[in-house]
Amino acid sequence: MSDILASPAPKPTVVDILRSRRQNRYAKGAFFGLLLIMVMWSVKVTVIEDTDWERIGSVAKVIEAANRFIGIDFSLFPSLLGPTIETLMIACLGTLLGVILCIPAAWFGALNITPYKPVTYPLSRLMMTLSRSIHEIVWALFFVAAVGLGPLAGVLALAVRSIGFIAKMSAEAIEDIDPGPVDAIRAAGGNDFQVVIYGVLPQVLPQVLSVIIFEWEINIRRSAILGMVGAGGLGLVFFRQMNTFNFHGVTSVIIAILLLIMLGEVFSYFIRKTVI
Amino acid sequence: MNRAMTPQPGTPQRQWRRFKYPGSLISYGIWLSILVFFAYTVEYLEIPLDRLLGMFERMGSTLANRYYPPDIEYIMDADYLEYVLETIQMAYLGALFGLLASVPLGWFGSFNMSPSRRYVYPAARLITMGCRAVHEMIWAILFVTIIGFGMLPGVLALMFFCTGFAGKLFAEEIEAIDMGPVDAMRASGANLFQIMLFGVFPQVRVAFTGIAIYTWDVSFRAATVVGFFGAGGMGWYLKRNILQIETERVAAILLSIIFLVLISEAISAWARARVMKMK
Amino acid sequence: MVVLEVRDLRARYSASGPEILKGISFRVEADDFFAIIGPSGAGKSTLIRCINRLVEPSGGEILFFDREVTTLRGRQLRLLRRDIGMIFQEFNLIDRMSVMDNVLSGRLGYTGNLRTLFRAFPRDDIQHALSLLDRVGLLEFVDKRADELSGGQRQRVGIARALMQTPKLLLLDEPTSALDPKISREVMALIKQMATELKVPCLCNIHDVQLAMEFCNKIIGLQDGNKMFDGPTGEMDQAKLNEIYAMEVL
Repeated sequence: MSDILASPAPKPTVVDILRSRRQNRYAKGAFFGLLLIMVMWSVKVTVIEDTDWERIGSVAKVIEAANRFIGIDFSLFPSLLGPTIETLMIACLGTLLGVILCIPAAWFGALNITPYKPVTYPLSRLMMTLSRSIHEIVWALFFVAAVGLGPLAGVLALAVRSIGFIAKMSAEAIEDIDPGPVDAIRAAGGNDFQVVIYGVLPQVLPQVLSVIIFEWEINIRRSAILGMVGAGGLGLVFFRQMNTFNFHGVTSVIIAILLLIMLGEVFSYFIRKTVI
Repeated sequence: MNRAMTPQPGTPQRQWRRFKYPGSLISYGIWLSILVFFAYTVEYLEIPLDRLLGMFERMGSTLANRYYPPDIEYIMDADYLEYVLETIQMAYLGALFGLLASVPLGWFGSFNMSPSRRYVYPAARLITMGCRAVHEMIWAILFVTIIGFGMLPGVLALMFFCTGFAGKLFAEEIEAIDMGPVDAMRASGANLFQIMLFGVFPQVRVAFTGIAIYTWDVSFRAATVVGFFGAGGMGWYLKRNILQIETERVAAILLSIIFLVLISEAISAWARARVMKMK
Repeated sequence: MVVLEVRDLRARYSASGPEILKGISFRVEADDFFAIIGPSGAGKSTLIRCINRLVEPSGGEILFFDREVTTLRGRQLRLLRRDIGMIFQEFNLIDRMSVMDNVLSGRLGYTGNLRTLFRAFPRDDIQHALSLLDRVGLLEFVDKRADELSGGQRQRVGIARALMQTPKLLLLDEPTSALDPKISREVMALIKQMATELKVPCLCNIHDVQLAMEFCNKIIGLQDGNKMFDGPTGEMDQAKLNEIYAMEVL
């Protein structure tokens, strides 16, 4: 009771404010100082001690080593067409398979339409996290061990890797829908399937398509290197050129990859314009 | 069914077709060609659809026999754990330097705040796109070839990758700001750097932190694997054991990679939630 | 004959939350155009939505053609719902789909999954949809996207959709609250016309008392979950209105 009658807390004075600002600055300074020390220590341990400086020699030698890549092996280009198409196809098929796998994943992962919340929701979240957390190379290694060398391993690796992003974004889009149309279909006597097809899908379609195209572009990038672990495409050519020390050939392959990615960007730009 | 609602005999039947010319024809044509394309893809890549199911069975038995139980003792070894620590260090050094480089690149590559839209903007965008388009593994291999094995090429590769990754996100973030405070500062005579510092940065600070955390995530995931190509870290153990067909050890290493990445993701998800609350 | 009988209906949104409906009872007959009026928060919308179980009642009974519906589940519930049409305040059309597809969606309760996937409705349904669209005056919009229509037009699509179910009861959840006054009157008139033509009783949750008195033959007044008035429109007068809307006068 007496608190009401007691005088209100004293207003902070200028001195108080300056003091607390100084304290804040010290705290921040200490934090960043600690960070700096940690970084410097890491640099020392990893870069400075671990590197074989003798082998590298001088900066001039490094530049010379880098120069080996400058130059394009034009004779390689005709033979790159096949692997490039293969890379593109692996990316397309991998994305398609990923989208198919995402249908249950996104359905389970959306709080408003998941069939049995205690089980299916955490299950799908786990699937999405696993898919995103494991690098595509690790997935590729896994599938090469499982189904053998070749494009199939690459397709599977990309499919599984894509689930994480596409399903997560789609589930979020589903959770954000307007419940009105869903009510309307339910009120007309529609079953769960009809509610999803008529009430949910039309609302999330633009976002889902956008996400799929985005992931497809990234998959082109991934597909190009999966060949290095045996999953087909340009990666294999890259690997071979490296092994035969044909560095100009390596540059050619990199250029091919960049061109393919650029093609993908142009294509996705037009698709977005017309469809979404 | 209420009789008043069925069409009475004698009333003209109206025509309505779902199929519209030429719209529907084009639509169906596109769907058909997409289907044909994918069928062709399966052909071209020689994917054995009929053997597919059998493969999964074989996959299951291979996993159960050769990859189980995973050799946990192998990864508890001090040498391996040292490599794990190195992987973490490589990851955040690469992310850190990459972020430092991508702040100016993001600024220069943003259409609204770039110092020069004719030269600096396209140049910055090109650099960012270039860093991004080249896969982090390619960067790793290139640097290993130039510099040799070890962690330096790994850090450099991650740095270049993160620069591209964060640079694009930063630029997009800057392009999305409210130009009001910027215009106000311009009107008061501030130069571009001051405008960036006091007009732009406060607006994007929270988003930038989120992007930084996301970049760390991606960097760590890549760092676990760059060792496969000689750039330092746990990946090296992976490669060695694959070559030696020590499948149980491979399983253990893969598990350790998954485990660490999951922990890293959990931490960064928590950090991002904290950052979101700050907003 | 009695189409709908509600006995002591109770509803609450969560087990520990307040009771929204505190024991409502009334009857709807085959030729009724029943209005539910009352201040905001009185439970009008909840009452309407309990009838087709979009909201779960927590107590009481609802008898539809002498059949208890509060315990129906699964397929039985869907069969009930397809006999009850609903028109919504926010229209609740499928924006990206055409007017025709929206009207046809009223028929989903009678359509199998495979037909749903390919949107292959039987020809009779299509004819029915066309005649309904003609009746509401939207025949030339048949292939337009639903979000290209004005508010009044959208609600008319909603009317066509609800009637597509050949319902035995029509529920109207503030059908005109999102429309301007002139259009509101037109829409209410259209609903009343078609309901009378097709001999479908209506239960209407309505905010505008004037409209209620003009179009409906019976009125229920709700206040804070309780029934304050139940009788023909003729018996409603200013004194009773003041009683119902006592809270809102402030």
